[in-house]
Amino acid sequence: MDFIVAGFIKAIELLISCDSATWTAVWATIKVSTGSMLLSIGAGLPCGFLLGYFDFKGKKHLRTILDTMLALPTVFIGLAVYAFISRQGPLGELGLLFTLTGIAIGQTILAFPIVTAITATTIENIDHDLKLTLVSLGAGRRNIIATCLWEVRYGILAAAVTAYGRVLTEVGISMMVGGNIKYHTRTITTAIALETNKGLFADGIALGLVLIMIAFIVNLSLSFLRKQ
Amino acid sequence: MTNNIQVTKKNPAYHLKNIQHYYGNTKVLDIDDLKIEKGSITGLIGPNGSGKSTLLKLLAFAQKPTRGQIFYKGRMELPFSTSIRSKISLLTQKPYLLKRTVFENIAYGLKIRNEKNNLEQRIKKALLNVGLDYQNFTKRFWHELSGGEAQRVAMAARLILKPEVLLLDEPIASVDIESAGLIRQASLNARKNWGTTLVIASHDLQWLYSICDHQLSIFKGNIFSTGVENIITGPFEKSDQKTLIKKLEDGQIITLNAPSQNACTAIIRKKNMVINLEKQSGNGHINQLSGHITSMLLEKKSETIMATISIHDLSLIVLLSPDQISGLDLYPGKKVILTFHSHDVEWI
Repeated sequence: MDFIVAGFIKAIELLISCDSATWTAVWATIKVSTGSMLLSIGAGLPCGFLLGYFDFKGKKHLRTILDTMLALPTVFIGLAVYAFISRQGPLGELGLLFTLTGIAIGQTILAFPIVTAITATTIENIDHDLKLTLVSLGAGRRNIIATCLWEVRYGILAAAVTAYGRVLTEVGISMMVGGNIKYHTRTITTAIALETNKGLFADGIALGLVLIMIAFIVNLSLSFLRKQ
Repeated sequence: MTNNIQVTKKNPAYHLKNIQHYYGNTKVLDIDDLKIEKGSITGLIGPNGSGKSTLLKLLAFAQKPTRGQIFYKGRMELPFSTSIRSKISLLTQKPYLLKRTVFENIAYGLKIRNEKNNLEQRIKKALLNVGLDYQNFTKRFWHELSGGEAQRVAMAARLILKPEVLLLDEPIASVDIESAGLIRQASLNARKNWGTTLVIASHDLQWLYSICDHQLSIFKGNIFSTGVENIITGPFEKSDQKTLIKKLEDGQIITLNAPSQNACTAIIRKKNMVINLEKQSGNGHINQLSGHITSMLLEKKSETIMATISIHDLSLIVLLSPDQISGLDLYPGKKVILTFHSHDVEWI
């Protein structure tokens, strides 16, 4: 029990003293998670809208594939991305292995199905009378799409928060694609795994606290936006 | 989208030709020919599931009929067409309010038309039209309104657009008598001020007859341009090869000529029904049913009185002239004999 208490004290010390290793990992985490979220929302939102709004042949099969992707293990994504961007891989020349960009790509693959699936479900659940109401008020196709998205903004926000939670806490992709290089590709989660392996629980707890704080701030901001 | 029908001032607001609409394999509308004149107020009467809402959606061009064509002012139009979508407005039975304030809900239609001038004054007027106070309601959110208030806000959101056609689906289903009066007045004003054509579906016959120029009744997707007609549903029993009978629980029997093809619902036109005070001598082909007058409604245009006769659990309608009313001294509650011939039946 003592080491947990000591961990909390150490955590506060590390954060207050602006420990460079800790803050580099924090910064790397923020950078990759923000990048991957921007990419996954940018691609997932329109895909989710199309999937939820329109009926087309093969829609059910596409939903099944997407739902399967929701359960993709992060180590599998890490492995697949690694295979593609390693020296021997088809994208090896881009030099993305052991970079934050590489991690962001992997995390985008992780977050994309979450954003797409939740957005599609949210759109599918839109009240049937909404479209009829918009048409009867004279809305054109663009107005209908924009208004539908605005009407389900909280559902889309939930999709983003869920995906962000998954991205922020994953280890497999960051470890395999990033390589856990100190001051370079080490993220909070890979750092926690490493410190715990070394028996340095205090450092691990400190980083864990930072992770929780980031998640808390993000959710607090979104909750504030929702009230607005 | 145009076709060979010439656009002239004489064209009706709507002309529906050979319309058939299906949900899956079920036919919900079957209209051979229907015209709705510009600037008219048409009432749509029919039981739940008769096809009223579907017809309104087709008239709003929010749905494409499975078969047939709909002409708007002489032009054939397709759903969501740009040329008409700003001219026709539909108020659905359960109006959907955007998850915004009352102000933003009413302003929505104007904003997408880029009509942002004098917004506050126009919204104030629109709210006043439906009996809502601007100060009290404008900042309220959608979830802070009662069913009746939401209905009136939705109505205001349509009235502010000054539509050429206003389609109202059960507009007074969830409002009180005062609000029903306000919606009636707002509808009449829309016609008076902007020449708006109105098609209104409602179960409240009294309210509907007080506002409409004429009524269409709809049953199982079939339109009757003579307004409410008498519908007798089965089960029927076969009396002989040419006759079906329906036994009422009070022992009375309705005799009807059997349909020539498979049909299960009988329509008896109200014009073919006669009221007497006592049973007359006649043959077995004349139905004489004993019942009570339950209501009397003035049909404005024809100045005739539509009387509803309750015969056990069946309500039948008969048209009467004011002279007949006074001559037979008819009033609600009075016992009467409703007479009609067994061959005066149509089957659907």
